[in-house]
Amino acid sequence: MKKLNLSRLTKPLILVLCFAALTILRPKAFPTVSNLSNVLWSISVYGIMTSGTIFVFLVGGIDLSIGSLCGLTGVACVMTIQALGRTNFAVVMGILAAIAVGALAGLFHGLTVTRFRVPAFLITFATSTAYLGLSMLLTNNKIISCTEPALFTGISNYKLVGFPVPVYLMIVVALMSWFILSKTSLGRSFYAVGGNAPASRLSGINDTGVTMLAYVFSGITTAIGGIVLASMTQQCKAMNGSGYENYVIMSAVIGGVSLLGGVGTVPGCIFGAVLIGLLNNGLNLMSVPATEHDLVKGLVIIAAMAFDAAQHQDSARKSLTKLPWLKKKGM
Amino acid sequence: MSEIILEAKGICKSFSGVKVLKSVNFSVRKGEVHALMGENGAGKSTLIKILTGAYTKDSGTIEWKGKPVEINSLGDCQKLGMSCIYQELSVIPALTVSQNVFLGREPRTLGIIDHAKMRTMTRELIERYGFPLDPDARVSDLGIGVRQMVEILKGLSCKAEVLIMDEPTASLSGKEAETLFSIIERLREQGVSVIYISHRLEEVYRLADRLTILRDGENEAVLDHDQIDPRKVISLMIGKEIDESAGTVNTMHTPTGDVLLHVERLSNLSSFHDVSFDIHRGEIVGFGGLIGAGRTEIMRAIFGIDSFTSGSITFDGKPFRSTPKKSIRAGIGFVPEDRRGQGFIPLLSTTRNVALTNYDIIGKKGLAIDEKEELAMSRRAIEKMDVRPSDPGKQVGLMSGGNQQKVVVGKWLMRDLKLLIVDEPTAGIDVGAKDEIYGILEDLAHQGVAVILVSSDLQELIRVSHRILVMRKGSIVREFNNGSVTQSMVLEAASGLQA
Repeated sequence: MKKLNLSRLTKPLILVLCFAALTILRPKAFPTVSNLSNVLWSISVYGIMTSGTIFVFLVGGIDLSIGSLCGLTGVACVMTIQALGRTNFAVVMGILAAIAVGALAGLFHGLTVTRFRVPAFLITFATSTAYLGLSMLLTNNKIISCTEPALFTGISNYKLVGFPVPVYLMIVVALMSWFILSKTSLGRSFYAVGGNAPASRLSGINDTGVTMLAYVFSGITTAIGGIVLASMTQQCKAMNGSGYENYVIMSAVIGGVSLLGGVGTVPGCIFGAVLIGLLNNGLNLMSVPATEHDLVKGLVIIAAMAFDAAQHQDSARKSLTKLPWLKKKGM
Repeated sequence: MSEIILEAKGICKSFSGVKVLKSVNFSVRKGEVHALMGENGAGKSTLIKILTGAYTKDSGTIEWKGKPVEINSLGDCQKLGMSCIYQELSVIPALTVSQNVFLGREPRTLGIIDHAKMRTMTRELIERYGFPLDPDARVSDLGIGVRQMVEILKGLSCKAEVLIMDEPTASLSGKEAETLFSIIERLREQGVSVIYISHRLEEVYRLADRLTILRDGENEAVLDHDQIDPRKVISLMIGKEIDESAGTVNTMHTPTGDVLLHVERLSNLSSFHDVSFDIHRGEIVGFGGLIGAGRTEIMRAIFGIDSFTSGSITFDGKPFRSTPKKSIRAGIGFVPEDRRGQGFIPLLSTTRNVALTNYDIIGKKGLAIDEKEELAMSRRAIEKMDVRPSDPGKQVGLMSGGNQQKVVVGKWLMRDLKLLIVDEPTAGIDVGAKDEIYGILEDLAHQGVAVILVSSDLQELIRVSHRILVMRKGSIVREFNNGSVTQSMVLEAASGLQA
């Protein structure tokens, strides 16, 4: 019990420390509403995406295609808007098109993983390339800009009480997935399937269905991320979301999600995303040259994971026996 | 009479104060098949682990070809010339037969693996012992029986003079077992000794030159081939005095309740055929038999985990072709054999594990689970089963085996059950928890719930069951529904000796 409370407090404590450090180092620039709103705005896309991809991590899978899919759904959204004449109706249709593309992609991943037993790592790695290629084909590898209507650009730059819409979207998506995961029996079954699939099958849980649903959720939140990103940049291009899968995996892992399945929470993921946002912001405010950002980020993440591993050494060692390729086949 | 190659004298071993081996003697002659038999817990595996260096003995001596030796690791054991064929095969599927046989000891020319030489050496071994194997076949393309041969070949390639085989036929088909037997006979002709551990009397009878029987960590007997009489072996394994003492003889009953479950000529492709039986309300029906007799497979088919190819199941008066979810809703509970692998979710708390099958009866607040009700249910289960620690938030993976099993059983008691199927419910758990689980099963039967108990623990089977069905090779061969039953009677039926 003691240990549990301690590790529960670590995350808020780390945030407070980061906050305090940056406030002391940059007392004028850091603790302002506009700067903090900026930090949240900058993490909103992968904050939204992580809130859905966590379902995939929980069932013990991985989705590497989300970066490319983020680009592809953005392309779907913008091209629909252009095709339908940039009206508000076109924006609604564009959003629906993007979400449909995301959901279909997720369904495809879920099907290949559950029915054809393709490892999630391989299939999403492959589709990642395919989605990028499809986006290039659709856009003719050009940037398609989209600066109107205002409903579209407003998705990312309209502000409510000092904060732009994407921040609220992130909060809403995160709250929804938090609610599903921690309050409903459906949500509980993601933890059960990731924790022990044969046992959950014997408990009457449809583990195939649950796994498919996880990939569909991941596809849908990726589409929302793609729409927001397209609106932020007021354009779409194939490479728009490239690299976002890294941010998503980092946020999740920093937030305590186990890539072996069965462990992780939405607040943890958001914590991870906020930490990455603060780090980026801090590096900018302290005028660290952009060429050094990635190296610093990498080192900080390694440190964070080492710290986490040291705290959970026992359970980490135990969970090693759960690596999918060490598992016995069947049940 | 040929020389003694391996001799263990006065081997003692205790685990946390409990004497598991009490001055055991065991000797193997050159070129003999020496069977080792005994009930679960008699000390067979402990003895083998001492011989192969996995455990260290407390006292006693081991002699190899007349010289005292110390075996402290598997490496020591292999250096002497002993090789153990594991039940869980350790061959690597992606490699060929010859690559597996010489793994880590590949013949080299100028530091580079000489594949041609390796193949020739493998072929020589194959021809010498008459294995039906191709040195270039990829192991992933081979069946389990053939993989086992690769493993044996690997042992022989290290110039092993003693091969230890632990239940080698447990996962083999009849034909594969025949091939194995002919290889064992061939090994014997070539002067290789085999220590053969098996529960199956007919195999031992057929193969063994000598037989050592252990009971409760002591040498019960060493028999030569012509002294091996199946009935005598059974009574030596169980022990006459124990067999007739209180608690191990029980009177069976003819059921009086209504029929709850009717299974009619159920078959699947491999593990059971034409099995029919009735289960009545309020009775505990024991299923006895050797490992691999098809008991677990039938229970899985009834619960709807695996399919069956023909036959029918009627449950509570209605035809039943199920999925686990439907079975649960219909009032069937299932406690699987492999607790760790299938019974519970180790990372989740007691509360979550108990709730897992019961979300349909836990109330809701809007869309959300009523967490108060969930917690209350978990507390009820903890109290009813006396789970320790009694903290509902404790991760089940961190509990002792007995308490884990109590959680697994406890979740079913929260429902309106009609039938509870328990498969080896007390395997690997302590005596106290065992008794508590027996008490729960008896309570359920009193309340009119039917219980199916699949167990390889004869004492448990006889003590708890009202009626016993014995399976052998996928069929029910014997029913005990009246009069008194002893462990020997069950074991004889399971081994194919009809009374």
